[in-house]
Amino acid sequence: MPIQSKLSRRSFLASSSGAAALAVATPLYLRPDRARAASGLADGMIGGPTGFDGAERYQYGADTPEGRAIEAVRSMKDAGSAPERIVLGLSDGSIGQITQPFPAGAPSIKELWEQETGITLDIVGVPNGQEFTKVMQDISTKGGGFDIYAVEWNRLGDLAESGGIVNLDEYVETHKPEWEAPERGYVGGEQGVSLLNGYRGSTYGVCLDGDFQTWNHRTDLFGDAAEQAAFADKHGYALAPPKTWKEHDEIAAFFHRPDDGLIGCSDLRNQGWGYTNWYQRYVTMASPNQFLFADDGTALINSEQGVLATEEYVASLSHHSADAISWGWPEQYGNFATGGAAMTCAFSNLPKFLDNPANDGSSVTGKVGSHLPPGRDHADGRISRTVLWFNLSASVSTQSEHPELCYLFLQWLGSSRIYSWMTANPGGFFDPFQLANFADPLVRETYHDYHMDIVRESVRRTVPTINYPGATAFHNALDENLTAALTGSMSAADAMANTERQWKRIARRVGEDKLVEAVRANKAAWPDLVDPV
Amino acid sequence: MQRSIPFEIFRYAVILGIVAVSLVPTLWMISMAFKPIAEWSAAGADLTWWPRNPTLDNFRFIFGQSSTDLIVALERTAGRPIFASLLTATCGTLIAMTAGTSAAYGLSRFGQGGNLPLALIQLRLFPPMAVMIPVMIMWSFLGLIDNWFGLSLIYGIVTLPFAFWLMKTFFDDMPREIEDAALVEGCTRWRVFVRITLPMMRPALASSALFVFILNWSDYLIALLLTTRDWATIPVYMASLSSSMTGQLYGAKAALGVIAAVPPIIMGIAIQKHLVRGLTFGALKE
Amino acid sequence: MTNVSAMAPAVEKIDAPATQSARLGLWLTLPAQLLVLFIALFPILMQVYISLTDWSPLDGIPWWKAHELWIGLLNYADLMADNRFWGALWRTMFVMAICVPVQFLLGLGLAVLFVDDFRGKRVLYSTLLVPMMVVPAVAGYMFFMLFQSGGPVNDLLSFFTSDPVRIAWLSDPDLALIAVMIADIWQWTPLMFLILLAGMISVPQDQQMAAILLGASWWRRFFTIVLPRMKSIIIIALAIRVIEIFKIFDTLFIMTGGGPGVATETISVYIYKVTQQELIWSYVAAIALAILIVLSVVSVFAIKRMQRGQKP
Repeated sequence: MPIQSKLSRRSFLASSSGAAALAVATPLYLRPDRARAASGLADGMIGGPTGFDGAERYQYGADTPEGRAIEAVRSMKDAGSAPERIVLGLSDGSIGQITQPFPAGAPSIKELWEQETGITLDIVGVPNGQEFTKVMQDISTKGGGFDIYAVEWNRLGDLAESGGIVNLDEYVETHKPEWEAPERGYVGGEQGVSLLNGYRGSTYGVCLDGDFQTWNHRTDLFGDAAEQAAFADKHGYALAPPKTWKEHDEIAAFFHRPDDGLIGCSDLRNQGWGYTNWYQRYVTMASPNQFLFADDGTALINSEQGVLATEEYVASLSHHSADAISWGWPEQYGNFATGGAAMTCAFSNLPKFLDNPANDGSSVTGKVGSHLPPGRDHADGRISRTVLWFNLSASVSTQSEHPELCYLFLQWLGSSRIYSWMTANPGGFFDPFQLANFADPLVRETYHDYHMDIVRESVRRTVPTINYPGATAFHNALDENLTAALTGSMSAADAMANTERQWKRIARRVGEDKLVEAVRANKAAWPDLVDPV
Repeated sequence: MQRSIPFEIFRYAVILGIVAVSLVPTLWMISMAFKPIAEWSAAGADLTWWPRNPTLDNFRFIFGQSSTDLIVALERTAGRPIFASLLTATCGTLIAMTAGTSAAYGLSRFGQGGNLPLALIQLRLFPPMAVMIPVMIMWSFLGLIDNWFGLSLIYGIVTLPFAFWLMKTFFDDMPREIEDAALVEGCTRWRVFVRITLPMMRPALASSALFVFILNWSDYLIALLLTTRDWATIPVYMASLSSSMTGQLYGAKAALGVIAAVPPIIMGIAIQKHLVRGLTFGALKE
Repeated sequence: MTNVSAMAPAVEKIDAPATQSARLGLWLTLPAQLLVLFIALFPILMQVYISLTDWSPLDGIPWWKAHELWIGLLNYADLMADNRFWGALWRTMFVMAICVPVQFLLGLGLAVLFVDDFRGKRVLYSTLLVPMMVVPAVAGYMFFMLFQSGGPVNDLLSFFTSDPVRIAWLSDPDLALIAVMIADIWQWTPLMFLILLAGMISVPQDQQMAAILLGASWWRRFFTIVLPRMKSIIIIALAIRVIEIFKIFDTLFIMTGGGPGVATETISVYIYKVTQQELIWSYVAAIALAILIVLSVVSVFAIKRMQRGQKP
């Protein structure tokens, strides 16, 4: 991307000279590491939260990604090349994790950052679901309203192609974020990093989320003796969280009692979300995976497997809320909180919010369980897959005058110590995704032990959605045809044939060479885990 | 006019029937605004029509004083968006009414601007969504994104046709004799417009301004695209009222909806007399 | 009678110096002219330019360099074959064809009932206007809840049936369209009523009295005296709704987002999706210009018609 690197370099140069002029007016600030040395940091630590039990787990020494980031920011500050403030655009629902102190006695993440660096962190809320719109607006109108964007992970390709976000390779090289660290880093090591942060071999984002769709069920219903007896009577096997799609559909149908306000399963079926369930059914149609595209870029959905998955998907609507097609996640969460569903598939944070004694609005506290995604049996074993969808990633705007500093902030925020501390905070949507997060006691307390191990195992079985240029167009085309199939206005076969036709057109527009390259890169991130039957 | 008793019964039955049906959504909103979270659900088996445990929590919540800590705390309270809506809708109305009234008078009395009726009809007919790309680029270039003046300006422009057409109707129908008499007495044209015509047109101005204000106040789409933080209006802010604890914060949305209905209703009541007279100005020559 | 659509400039009868009047007229119309120019000039030029290219913000070049992706009239050719666009246009027209007459008839009927005095008139009148005061976005959220399968609408309907009604309004393509039309009718019938009542009250009583004395029936009086006298106010009321429904977006978008599938996708929703999600902005420009041309033809025709109708 010649345009991009030129842009970032140019704005970087401009920023250093501009900030140098500013620095004259900036008063010297107290070096917080010295000021706070006596106030609770463990030995050898140069920064991190204090004031609560276990705070030392989130403190960092000089030789950690967080420590290096803070040191680099401080030296930029000392050299007068740092700004007064940086502006972070963020979904409304996630802001709380950065601004609310957690746990009792701790500072908020924002306070800690400002204390340690003297740089104000300005957060601009963006309505949930409007993230990409606002970012695209800022990029295309040269609005310059943000230094850092936080958008859905699968838009990275689109944003990188638009020249609106900075290629971070240079900074990653210099500041060593250690994302692939074996004990603490991303699941899947280097492969996971390139999936979550990369596009066509370069780093464009820093993952701040773990939206691996995970499965939940109601332990009170599954554990009820009368229900167990009735179920075993009817189906001849014991009632337990489903291991295959067949079991799933039977259990959901068993619990489906709309007149008593209980539906079998409330995984999402609306536009923009519904096909995450279709994906899970589709990709398990072959071992190890049924892919969306072949290596040469041919779409594989208009096939026996595609039609079968679609038919199954449509049939499963019968154990769903009658309103399923109009429900988004806010309705799904609201319904599950009032005990309206026996099973659901949602963000990994559902237990954190709904199985939460502080949530007076939830009647399922203490009654939530988690299970692995349903699978399908093949000759070599059981294939069970879930899907990565939505997932916020932060990127640095090419309009920012301080791209390196913004990157350093993201390195600090997105590395395992600070991130574990942040994701344990119930105030927002950022979910655990690093090995260190899954092992952290505070995170495990917020997300619950029963859930955390299931999430970690689900991550190992997660396939990525489309993240190449034209992602939205590809998804929309699939989405519309699936909805048409759901509402009965199109047969499953027609829906797949139609999607294939539309995908071909989109591929032409995107450029087939670019697509083939991206498809191959994406494919490398698909799991090949096979479970014993 | 004398009407028969059966007719009176018929009249009340029909009117009351329609009033009852038309009140359902409004009452649902009002009831929702006073419901605690447990009663929000519209999907469960136990549908709550009227709050069993009425509460002011929803109102407290949107102004940042939630008494319960179960809902994700709000980063922004409703105060600022309400102010933004009031300011931009009012300024937009002023822009539209000023330009619209003077242009209507200019065309009605002096035959200037013969292109305006067609141009303005097209302007109003055109879906704003279809020009938002160039408008966003222009506004950004002029530094008007997320800025009260930028939003007021676009409001003034998109409601200008309404102001112009309504005022033109009124000017066309206004008797000229009084203006003529003043001219004979030696007043200048401008003086006649400012001192005689405008005061006489107060009812028309009031009712036109109310319509224009309601249109600006109602807007969602334009503010969605032209604001980010500081000047987000009520409908834009409302979209952010959802949390992962409870899903959509319907109660909070409804509470904000109730508040948002207040300014148009107050204005409507204040000019109720003018409203009917305004719309029938030409015909009610007394 | 209001003479709204008189296009012919009123004749200047007053013997003030003509140049002074003309100058004042120019000054008075200047702000409106400037605003129109401001909002029309750049957007039209820009849209014409990019509509001839394949530009999208994802291409990484600024819009003024879009000529590097010149494709001539291809976008317009695509538009002709774009079923979604034509579907959205057709759907918009369908909503208009249903909602406007229903609103008109309801409004007119109510106006007839309200035209003379009765006890409680003022209160009932004000109550009927309330839906207009509810912000459309809020109405969207409320109607979303009202039309849930276990929601209030079905609960009310269950009153009349033996079994509880469980219609999933917003998940069924046909019913979803009906639901969004009901929301529009609810919100905007009051405006129609307000305007028509005002017009009806203004019909002079003398002729009606004469007709009563002659023994003409109510229906006859209504169709031969009242309605013809209301002609221009009726045109205004209808025109306002036709214009606004053509752009229908807020309430509908919040209720259904254009779904399920494309079942409630209107022109504005379709353009919104192409603009915000698929980001093919050059294509949006082509759509916008096509609409502009069609609307221009329609509005020129309509204004000509109105002018002809107005001539004594």
